[in-house]
Amino acid sequence: MSPISRRGFLTASAALGGGLTACSSSSAKSTPSGTRTVTHWDWFVSQEPWIKNEIAVFEKANPKIRIKRTVQVSDKYPDLINLAFRGGDAPDFFQIPSTPAFPDQVAQGWLEPLDARATAAWQSRFPQGSFFNGVDMVDGKVYSAPFGGAAPWLQLYIHNGLFKQAGITNPDGSVKLPRTWDDVTLAAEAITKKSGGKAHGIGFGNAQNATLTWWIELFVRGAGSPAGYGTDGPDYRVGKWTFGSDRNYADFLTLLLEWKKKGYIYPSAMSIGDEQARAFFERGKFGITVGGVWNQPTWAEHHFSDYSLTTLPSPTTTPKAFFYYPPGGRVFGVSKAAALTDEAWAWFDHLHSVEAGRRWVEAGQGLSVFPRANDQAKITSPQFQQYVDTRRYALPWPVPAIRNPEVSQVVVPAVKPDLPDVTAGLYTGQLKDMGAALSALEDRRNKALADGVKAAQAKGAKVGLADYVFADWDPTKPYVNKPA
Amino acid sequence: MPLVDTAPSPPAHRGGSGPATAAPPPKAPLRTRLWAARWSYLYILPLLALLLTFVVYPIFGSLVYTFYRWNGIGEPSDFVGLDNFRQIAHDSIFWDSVAHTFVYAIVVVPVQLVIALALALVLNNKKLRFSAFYRTLFFLPVVTSPAVVGVVVQLMLSNFGDTFNSWLLDAHIIDTPVDWLGNPRIAMGIIILVGIWQTLGYNLVYFLAGLQTIPEEINEAARIDGAGPVRTFLHITVPMLRSVGLMIVILAFIGSFQVFDLVQVLTNGGPYFGTEVVNTYIYHLAFGGNQAAATQPDVGLASAASFFYGLLLIGFSVLQVLIFRSIAKRRAAGRG
Repeated sequence: MSPISRRGFLTASAALGGGLTACSSSSAKSTPSGTRTVTHWDWFVSQEPWIKNEIAVFEKANPKIRIKRTVQVSDKYPDLINLAFRGGDAPDFFQIPSTPAFPDQVAQGWLEPLDARATAAWQSRFPQGSFFNGVDMVDGKVYSAPFGGAAPWLQLYIHNGLFKQAGITNPDGSVKLPRTWDDVTLAAEAITKKSGGKAHGIGFGNAQNATLTWWIELFVRGAGSPAGYGTDGPDYRVGKWTFGSDRNYADFLTLLLEWKKKGYIYPSAMSIGDEQARAFFERGKFGITVGGVWNQPTWAEHHFSDYSLTTLPSPTTTPKAFFYYPPGGRVFGVSKAAALTDEAWAWFDHLHSVEAGRRWVEAGQGLSVFPRANDQAKITSPQFQQYVDTRRYALPWPVPAIRNPEVSQVVVPAVKPDLPDVTAGLYTGQLKDMGAALSALEDRRNKALADGVKAAQAKGAKVGLADYVFADWDPTKPYVNKPA
Repeated sequence: MPLVDTAPSPPAHRGGSGPATAAPPPKAPLRTRLWAARWSYLYILPLLALLLTFVVYPIFGSLVYTFYRWNGIGEPSDFVGLDNFRQIAHDSIFWDSVAHTFVYAIVVVPVQLVIALALALVLNNKKLRFSAFYRTLFFLPVVTSPAVVGVVVQLMLSNFGDTFNSWLLDAHIIDTPVDWLGNPRIAMGIIILVGIWQTLGYNLVYFLAGLQTIPEEINEAARIDGAGPVRTFLHITVPMLRSVGLMIVILAFIGSFQVFDLVQVLTNGGPYFGTEVVNTYIYHLAFGGNQAAATQPDVGLASAASFFYGLLLIGFSVLQVLIFRSIAKRRAAGRG
């Protein structure tokens, strides 16, 4: 005889089904006690301690509101949020994904316009010129707000122990930070040779096919190529991508292959991911890596602080181009589908407060958009202080959508192979002719831009390729964007 | 010459020269036959509903998208006709991914079938102790998610890759360290090895089932006639496994052509598309890049690639069936 009766089985199934339904990611709900729950999505991992703390602070101040946070896997976040909206199960509040284009997200009805709440008085808490069409506004309506302060998003991380072991020090015994491409080469050589095979000079984890382009981004900017690896836009001086025609790209890739050939690079760099590379750097498997400020909280958690950082290593000691940022910014948005818009707005307002920004800085997560939140006296980590000191290398740059808001309607189609693919192909030797590969990539990207413009024109947008040319831009100076 | 004639006897009604057979009884009306088999239909109904919902509907549902350029957001509106199919047919990355898929299948299937048959023969030995334990052991990878297997293998290679390299360098097998998943050939080899190990259990079970249908008396008769294990295997086991074996081959090829999760997790199709198989190619088109390398997805192109590959597979399957039929006919003619 069966140990479970049919009736028992059916009852259990019904209970399980009910339970699962209750667990599903539904939109905001209110409970009989009057507590309202705002569903929140983000892809924060190393930032998790900060966001959890913010939830606790917010819920204490707003006892009738609960934040139900779901952390999603970062590399699939755009797909997941898209599916959530398509399936009618979108969160009330979410971190804005990188794709589709921001105006597309607004056009699809994902984001709630915040103008009624984000009044001029509310906006005045931000630095002047923080709200622009195509950045945090679309068609004159506010959909998001800036959050982080500007600083180079990539740094060259130096393992102090390995540098000291290799004798790369200043006369006072401190680690000699590499400033030029040659400095990096010499340091990598010294570490590799003096470690007796136990460590390598350089390391990264390119399993996700992204980090090799970080190296390009960091090194070619210093050499004077302001578009970096070009995801944020072309070289606005000419309105084109210049991977093949600007020799800095080929020069750096040649240097990278030279490092590989000489055995300075950690051999399994293409097999491991960025998280693993971060752990291996901590363990002293290599002396130099490239990453962002997001590395620091994880290392702090592991009580690893024997490292330093610098940014923009250049062929000479003076960087010829920097990191750039658009005025304004966007990180979070309130879902148009939110059942509890007031509560979601309260959470949005909390995250964009000076106090939350201050805690963000104190947690070593990055800089805040609010200058008064970036209180250097509260910074205890010397590495985070080093990061803060690199602020001078981040400048505002031209934003075509500010000069001509109709540029927002241009969607540049994806190209394949793109820079991450081409770089991997060159690194592994699958692509032999570097010049041809880079020129073909340049052509693909520029054709994609032309196609995007053409498609927008066909839909009636008054745009042209000239909208992407800012002949007056000097990449060594802040650019003042002016609406047309 | 076979010791025992294992070929099936021709049915009495096959040839015109055979003895005359009685006319078949008249068929009952369709409605009566359907009603008589109502419980059978009822039992297959849930499976049929699932099949229609999750297989048939999506196939025809996505057919519409093949004619649009569409990033998956909102409703498709940019009609491009057959452009997506044209683009796929001219995309060298697509053809490379087809080649990688075929290499995977062509290596995995024969190697796996030989190992599975050998293991099945061992496990079918009634004198083997703990055979149930071994069967479970070999079947265990099948019930493990390929994604989990991929993650574990990736972690093993990243954490112990240096140690493997040290051993190989010390043994003078290699002279420079290997980037296990960074070299497309080695990465493909690892995917194939893991693929063989992970799905071996299926074929092992199929072969075991096939072996258990061979009557013991035939083997006994062969032994009495003086046949050794090799002759018994070649002249009794292999011919009697033929029909089961053909089905196993077809299923193994179909399974191998659908490889996806293992590749997606282990290499994401890289480096530089060196391990890209058709299903990861389609996936990357449909879902674009990631947060780090954000690109616009193209669901229309992905749907076209999916259909195109479907047509290729149908062609391949038809070819496979025709080849098997031709072999069977030639054998039948040889016997007759």
